[in-house]
Amino acid sequence: RLIQMSLPNISRVPASRLLRSVRDLRWLLRSIAPLAVPRRALTQMGYRRPGQPREDKPPWWRVKFDLSKGLKGMKRHFQLLKEEFFAEFVGPMGKPIIEHMLEQNQVVWEFRGPHSLQEWTISCDREIGGKSEIYLKIGKNNETCLLYGTLCSDPPKDGETRYSGYCTMRAKQPLASFDRKKYHDWSSFNTLHLRIRGDGRPWMINIIAETYYTHQKDDMYSYFLYTRGGPYWQDVKIPFSKFFLAHRGRVQDDQHRLWLDKINAIGFTLGDKADGPFQLEIDFIGVCKDYAHTEDFAYEKYKRNPEV
Amino acid sequence: MTPLIYSTLIISLGIGTTLTFASTHWYLAWMGIEINTLAIIPLMTQSHSPRATEATTKYFFAQATASATLLFAATSNAFFTGSWDILQTNNPLTYTLMTLAMAMKIGLAPLHSWMPEVMQGLTLLTGLILSTWQKLAPFCLIYQIQPHSPNLFMALGLLSIVAGGWGGFNQVQLRKILAYSSIAHLGWMVLILSFSPPLTLVAFSTYLMMTFSLFYSFMMTKTTHINSLSTSWAKIPTLTALTPLILLSLGGLPPLTGFLPKWMILQELTKQDLALVAVLAALFSLFSLYFYLRLSYAMTLTMPPNNPAGTLPWRLNPSHNTLPP
Repeated sequence: RLIQMSLPNISRVPASRLLRSVRDLRWLLRSIAPLAVPRRALTQMGYRRPGQPREDKPPWWRVKFDLSKGLKGMKRHFQLLKEEFFAEFVGPMGKPIIEHMLEQNQVVWEFRGPHSLQEWTISCDREIGGKSEIYLKIGKNNETCLLYGTLCSDPPKDGETRYSGYCTMRAKQPLASFDRKKYHDWSSFNTLHLRIRGDGRPWMINIIAETYYTHQKDDMYSYFLYTRGGPYWQDVKIPFSKFFLAHRGRVQDDQHRLWLDKINAIGFTLGDKADGPFQLEIDFIGVCKDYAHTEDFAYEKYKRNPEV
Repeated sequence: MTPLIYSTLIISLGIGTTLTFASTHWYLAWMGIEINTLAIIPLMTQSHSPRATEATTKYFFAQATASATLLFAATSNAFFTGSWDILQTNNPLTYTLMTLAMAMKIGLAPLHSWMPEVMQGLTLLTGLILSTWQKLAPFCLIYQIQPHSPNLFMALGLLSIVAGGWGGFNQVQLRKILAYSSIAHLGWMVLILSFSPPLTLVAFSTYLMMTFSLFYSFMMTKTTHINSLSTSWAKIPTLTALTPLILLSLGGLPPLTGFLPKWMILQELTKQDLALVAVLAALFSLFSLYFYLRLSYAMTLTMPPNNPAGTLPWRLNPSHNTLPP
């Protein structure tokens, strides 16, 4: 009966005169009709490679349920919870307070076996249809890691992407029991210390700190890493005051210093538009306290408009 | 921030608290509290770092919830008793709601979880205002609510002492330690409120003095982490030697001033045949004493191996030189 009573007929009734402006029945039946612009829950689900068709499946359709996997997971998480509980009796973050007070250097990531590679994720523009390649493996004698591959800045032919040519390696967020986020607390330190051996290419170091709002999820603090090609190892010390804020790669006007009490991850990106093979060998990534470095933030902030 | 706006906000803070102090009508008291909340928000977001905006948002949510609850309770009280007078709060539902709303405002357990995160995101000066001045107006209202049974206050008080002590146990960030210290002290104040309100005022005034001193010491040495406390001897040696007195006073050790309110509260509780509550309060405040002692240990009682290179800062900054000539 609803279908028979078409919109022009309904709109003759005075109370629903506004319905005259509704031309398309789909506006009323919003929840079931296919949309021109997808719902926000679907667009923010994960990365969609440009050119691929959109998946309109709700998230619970994509999960594979398995009882034995669930039981193993529960056992692992309870084990982690127990360890965390007893670690608090030792001291803050599981270390005695005297260690907190005395430490001036801390090695955060080092590569001493294949298990170290589990903490890292590599990615390149192959995800968006490009032609770069990236691989990560443990170096000789299980002492280092080698990030190598080929950079290619030909953009993918999908009609949407204009630029391409990047390779990146990023640490995974540390997780506590039940997949709660854990953070690195580097507030006792003020310098990032890396021991690397590169091929002369310029890399970008990105530090991802914990944010609160969803629009801040792509915020990163970046700085440059210039590698010197050659057989000698390079000790790079970058003070945290040098890192500047960027959002999705764009440097922001309203800069502030990097807060070190909740750090999620660190990443290295190569995007120097020089096509060809690359290599980066990393011995360790650590943090240290340089007492001679007292700078809070390296960049001056200019007020472009007089603020209240 | 321009001086005009800054002074407007500071004056608004003063006006808000004064309005609440001077009011007998619930609406006016609520308005004073709202003015306080709104005036401190821009002060908290002065630096545009994400941690500051996060702290401000969390603070705003907690305070807005508490204010809405308070307004609802005041309106319900007017509905039941026909009076908007603050001293005419007779209905058990309404004074319980009001107490819980004020507990959330000042950060009493179990409504205290916003406090450490908010304090961590603020500068030391704004944290000082939050710990001291912002507690005055809600405390004034709690003081005037006269419940028929002391159980709620005792429960809030004991929980706060436990939460404040236990929460600060493994902290290395000084602002979070101060937040948990604030929670524990507020617990002591609220514990004795229904038996002897003047003792609450004694405890509150000593807490204000001690917290102000401690915050100011940290501001002068520019320390926000327990590690940076260990090198504060090079900045201001005299202050480094005297700060343990403030810390141990906060911990309630005799013969320092901070012992006085604790002693009198324990005495009053014993007189009221609540010896068990007194014992529990005294035992749980040992947790707080532990982290105050740890701060004193890091700051004054130990010499770190990692001394600052070059000329000692206290020689370069004569305005901070408090050594006798």
